[in-house]
Amino acid sequence: MANVTLPFPFPQHLELILPEMIIAVMAMALLMWDIFLPKSKKNWIAYATIATCMVTAYATILLTPAASMTTFYGYFVMDPFASFAKLLMLVATVFAVILSLDYMKDEEYLGEYYCLMLFALLGMMLMVSSNNFVTMYLGLELMALSVYVLVGYQRDVLRSSEAALKYFILGALSSGMLLYGITFLYGVTTSFDFATIGTRLVDANDSAHGVVMLGMVFVLAGLAFKVSIAPFHMWTPDTYEGAPTPVTAFISVAPKVAGFVVFMRVLHDVLPAVQADYTMILVFLAALSIIIGNVAAIAQRNIKRMLAYSTIGHVGFVLLGLIAANEAGYAGALVYLTVYLFMNMGVFAIIILMRRDGIQGELLDDFSGLSKVRPGYALAMGLLLFSLAGIPFLGGFWAKYVVIMAAIEADHLYLAILAIIFSVVGCFYYLRVIKYMYFDDARVDFNFIESSLMKIAVAVTAVAVTVIGLYPDPVIQICKQALVGLI
Amino acid sequence: MIGLSDYLIVAACLFSLGVIGLFLNRKNVITILMCIELILLAVNINFVAFSHYLQDINGQIFVFFVLTVAASEVAVGLAILVAFYRTRRSIDVEDINTLQG
Repeated sequence: MANVTLPFPFPQHLELILPEMIIAVMAMALLMWDIFLPKSKKNWIAYATIATCMVTAYATILLTPAASMTTFYGYFVMDPFASFAKLLMLVATVFAVILSLDYMKDEEYLGEYYCLMLFALLGMMLMVSSNNFVTMYLGLELMALSVYVLVGYQRDVLRSSEAALKYFILGALSSGMLLYGITFLYGVTTSFDFATIGTRLVDANDSAHGVVMLGMVFVLAGLAFKVSIAPFHMWTPDTYEGAPTPVTAFISVAPKVAGFVVFMRVLHDVLPAVQADYTMILVFLAALSIIIGNVAAIAQRNIKRMLAYSTIGHVGFVLLGLIAANEAGYAGALVYLTVYLFMNMGVFAIIILMRRDGIQGELLDDFSGLSKVRPGYALAMGLLLFSLAGIPFLGGFWAKYVVIMAAIEADHLYLAILAIIFSVVGCFYYLRVIKYMYFDDARVDFNFIESSLMKIAVAVTAVAVTVIGLYPDPVIQICKQALVGLI
Repeated sequence: MIGLSDYLIVAACLFSLGVIGLFLNRKNVITILMCIELILLAVNINFVAFSHYLQDINGQIFVFFVLTVAASEVAVGLAILVAFYRTRRSIDVEDINTLQG
């Protein structure tokens, strides 16, 4: 290798993509290892996945620069903002793997299952590290394609394939809309770079205003699809209900984090020139999400479907932070996503524990009398549901508090009032589950298949929402510091 | 002389056809996959038209990424469709109705 001359300069700071490299290499290596593992030892893949996530988390923390640094000629950015999101997604993946251990153990092709999770994670990590539409699109598609397959993983279960089919069709449509929007922003600014588009849009003359609006609307609609904001939420209830429960837990958290981080970057870097216009659209979307999510959840008898509508309501709250578009708002959105991660993972862990001889454990009735048989699980579920409902003083309360305060600060008083009213409406369906658990008699025997890792996962989430509820300041401070790179 | 706006209008027509076909189609899922492809091709026409008009090569490079991803997207979509067909024995849009509420 003597003096090879490249036709382009060698990219600087390549070490910044080490976390992504670890995930990519391990995903492929595990796929190979899976072939040589006997059926009884497939669980090792899961443990290796957890180990990979932990090593990657460590690498991410070590490599986090104090300010933004880019590599690959500016196509890949690493900053505390991206790192924070990556850590959230890594934690979500670890939880999802733990949730899968018992649930998926009878499935075929387990190796592919965990590798697909890693590939989805890789896509999301690229998404949050993108400051360019090209990188963003590729990351988004890597995530989306892996997740479609994960949703349809139980191939012999009709509702699983159907959920995957619906998710695929609407997901592909949303990618198309996002791309169509990007073409117009490119047409006006001749660039795919977020910051460059942002500055050129400020200077763009008025005749291009219509084209910019067109691009903005399509980009926002495409992103709103991905994070299931109403009225682009149609896929959410079906996909949540049909997907295997650990996958539901995964897609209810990790892609939302990635989607919102990209959303924030796009709003803050690309579209500041049209802030008045996008705020108007987002206010409408947030109000609609909060109303539809909380009202439609009341009618559900299946808890996974109920949680799907509750997700739609919650993303409406996160959107409040984005509408505020100031430090408090963006930090609030991150706080919300952090707390939401623990709440949802805990609730889904308990739903998985409810699966027993021939019962899916997904109907509200199945929770009847849980407190008499397993007071520990009932207590944890109670705490998590209270937290989701936003009862003080649990994590969910502070999450709602910070975004609503940010919205009020940014002069969106009516939206804040609406959010508060509908979070009270939302209490109804969360508390109904608690009523089933504590005040009804068990109709069927409880016969839990529980591993110690599951117990730890439930305990960790319940303790986390309680601790964040009692001492919210550290989390809020960390989220504020994590905004370096965005603001 | 065919100008930029002509290309954009063609692309807009294709895009609308794709979206309308996606929602109005009551026949079968293969048509939906074709509509998705139509949407992505409309995007590609837009990219190439802008790229040529602006004399900037980046738009055409993006087209290659979109083409590649579209190919893998259809592969995944067809695989899911096959899995669905095996249990449901039908690919009619009306038969995608197990999950409702």
